[in-house]
Amino acid sequence: MLFQISEQIVNGIVTGAVYALVAVGMTMIFGVLRAINFAHGEYYMVGTFGAWVAIEYFDLPYPVAIVAGVIATAFVALVIGQFVMRRMVGAPAEAGVLATLGIALILQNSVILLFGGGYKFFEGGYIEPVTILGVSLAEQRLLIIAVAVLVFFGLELLVTYSRMGKAMRAVSQNVECCAVVGIDVRKVVVRTFVLGAALAGLSGVLTAPVNVSVYGGMGELITFKTLPIIIMGGLGNVRGTFFAAMILGIAESLVATYVGLQFRDTVGFATLMLVLMWRPHGLFSAQARY
Amino acid sequence: MANTVHRRAFCLLASAFCLAGAPAFETSALAQDSSIRLGIVAPMSGPNARYGAFSLRGAQLAAKDINAAGGIDGRKIQVFSADSQGTPVEGVSATRRLIDQDKVDFLIGDVSSSVTLAMQPVVEDAGVLLINAASSNPKITYAAGVGGFKWSFRNYPTDENRALIVAQYAAEKRGFTKFAVLSVDSDYGRSAIEFTKKYLPRFKGQILSEDYYKEGEVDFRSVLAKIRDSGAQAIIMYGLADTTPIVARQMTEVGLAGKVPLIGNGEFNTEKTIKSAPKALEGAVEAAAWLPGWDSPKSKGFVARFTAEYREAPNNHAYVHWETVNLLGKAVEAAKSTDRAKVRDALAKIKYDSAVGEVTFDDHNQAKLPMILLQIEDGKPVVKGAYSADIDYPR
Repeated sequence: MLFQISEQIVNGIVTGAVYALVAVGMTMIFGVLRAINFAHGEYYMVGTFGAWVAIEYFDLPYPVAIVAGVIATAFVALVIGQFVMRRMVGAPAEAGVLATLGIALILQNSVILLFGGGYKFFEGGYIEPVTILGVSLAEQRLLIIAVAVLVFFGLELLVTYSRMGKAMRAVSQNVECCAVVGIDVRKVVVRTFVLGAALAGLSGVLTAPVNVSVYGGMGELITFKTLPIIIMGGLGNVRGTFFAAMILGIAESLVATYVGLQFRDTVGFATLMLVLMWRPHGLFSAQARY
Repeated sequence: MANTVHRRAFCLLASAFCLAGAPAFETSALAQDSSIRLGIVAPMSGPNARYGAFSLRGAQLAAKDINAAGGIDGRKIQVFSADSQGTPVEGVSATRRLIDQDKVDFLIGDVSSSVTLAMQPVVEDAGVLLINAASSNPKITYAAGVGGFKWSFRNYPTDENRALIVAQYAAEKRGFTKFAVLSVDSDYGRSAIEFTKKYLPRFKGQILSEDYYKEGEVDFRSVLAKIRDSGAQAIIMYGLADTTPIVARQMTEVGLAGKVPLIGNGEFNTEKTIKSAPKALEGAVEAAAWLPGWDSPKSKGFVARFTAEYREAPNNHAYVHWETVNLLGKAVEAAKSTDRAKVRDALAKIKYDSAVGEVTFDDHNQAKLPMILLQIEDGKPVVKGAYSADIDYPR
């Protein structure tokens, strides 16, 4: 019984690591733009497709495909960042919602137009199972956890010490003051956006081998799983997002085991409601952004 | 200026009317007693358009070959097609169009069960014979024959047939008694499990756990670990084709592969799926209405003929529509008439040799026909024979 619970907690951590990678980008973008990026799942999808194209059309090995997927996502994000997202600075909240929803539709349907609406099969990755402390996991999942930990460590360093990180924090606190002291707000916004989207792309490429199916609409579900996480984590809070993602992953895993798989998708929003009743600012206070 | 535009528009409209009118006159002129007017309702656009294209091609091929061989007692089959778009609303207007404008006497359609259910009252009112060839919802024939609709027939196995045949095979040939359920959370997935539960007591089987996944679900580790620890001997899965590889891979991860097979339906037998997780799919059992590899002369002949005609291999929908047009041909031959009522009575009494086995109709106008059972052995689907089973109608 105890073993069963601990195995399910491991399963939850694996799921949580994926959510964390996607959600951290979304929360950073919220930090600088004050807008929820409803197209975030689509960058996850674009990253997966980038890697899939690299493997399927160019016969590249999986590690190269990871890089290809992330670069493809960053490029798409850069174009969208330049043409759309930088115009969102100081725009009303509805503008951000409409723009990102529109981008989600455009990205999804462009991919369907290019590659067809059917499900693609993702080859590559490290899917052999290994046993650690009696829990059997695909090697790929260990890779996902390791990458998630590394990414969060790197982000902590970035936002604390680097010039760009400091600028990001400044923009998330006060846009007008940044303009006064000479921080190029739009540049910071575009950079944060590209970084966040590339992280979503990375998580897409990393999960593709275990999720196998690749299709145009695969990002939608991710966006809606991510929303409660970033709210629970305190919008714009990197560290909070990590823990919120883990909590959701573990909660989902336990519900799928002891209640039923069909109730799994309700966990996110149910937990969100409980958390908001208890702590309306999210689990980790939104005052300490980044 | 405005005047000229009006005049030009009028001319255009008038010529358009003439053009549209011409074929209409032609068809009414062709409405002779001797031809068999057959309408095909199928999704020619929308997400199921591929199924619709296969269906129509199958039907057209059968009609072409029958006509080339001189027709049924000299009567040629004329095929009219209408697009249901896979939705009940469009399906009903397509059916009305075929009945009112094209004056068809016989209809075959639709692929999607919800469309077929909507078509049934329409054909009942019009007194046009409907032979469904590809919908699997049991309700269609619960409500037909002695169940109510006199003009609806179905020449396709239902989800209930499938559930029963799979359960029977798993229990009798494989000796399983303890099952776990992992199906898609939809009408299809849930009703297949309802039917399995209805028949499992016959085989002393019991269900240890029951889970349903949402479309798009990618994480099955938790539920698979639970199934592993429950001691189930097989997983009953009526799922989505695209989810099967995900489940299979995660079965390998949690150590279920090679120990607990999947049984049910969800494209377990395609090369792509097997390749995704060969060990997990070993021993998987699936029931199909037909498949291109089925080893009978008639089936092989159809595959060769279809491939030669359309330069692509047929799928299940092409086969069932081809077979159903041939079945209708035989019913007209037996009735010695194209009179709808006579053909209907002939169809109810028919004994037809399909490519899979003998087809007869029960008092619910449901075809009793065998399904092909496949089992994955050494990474290849192996046909374990054609099985049929009698279902219990709700009283």
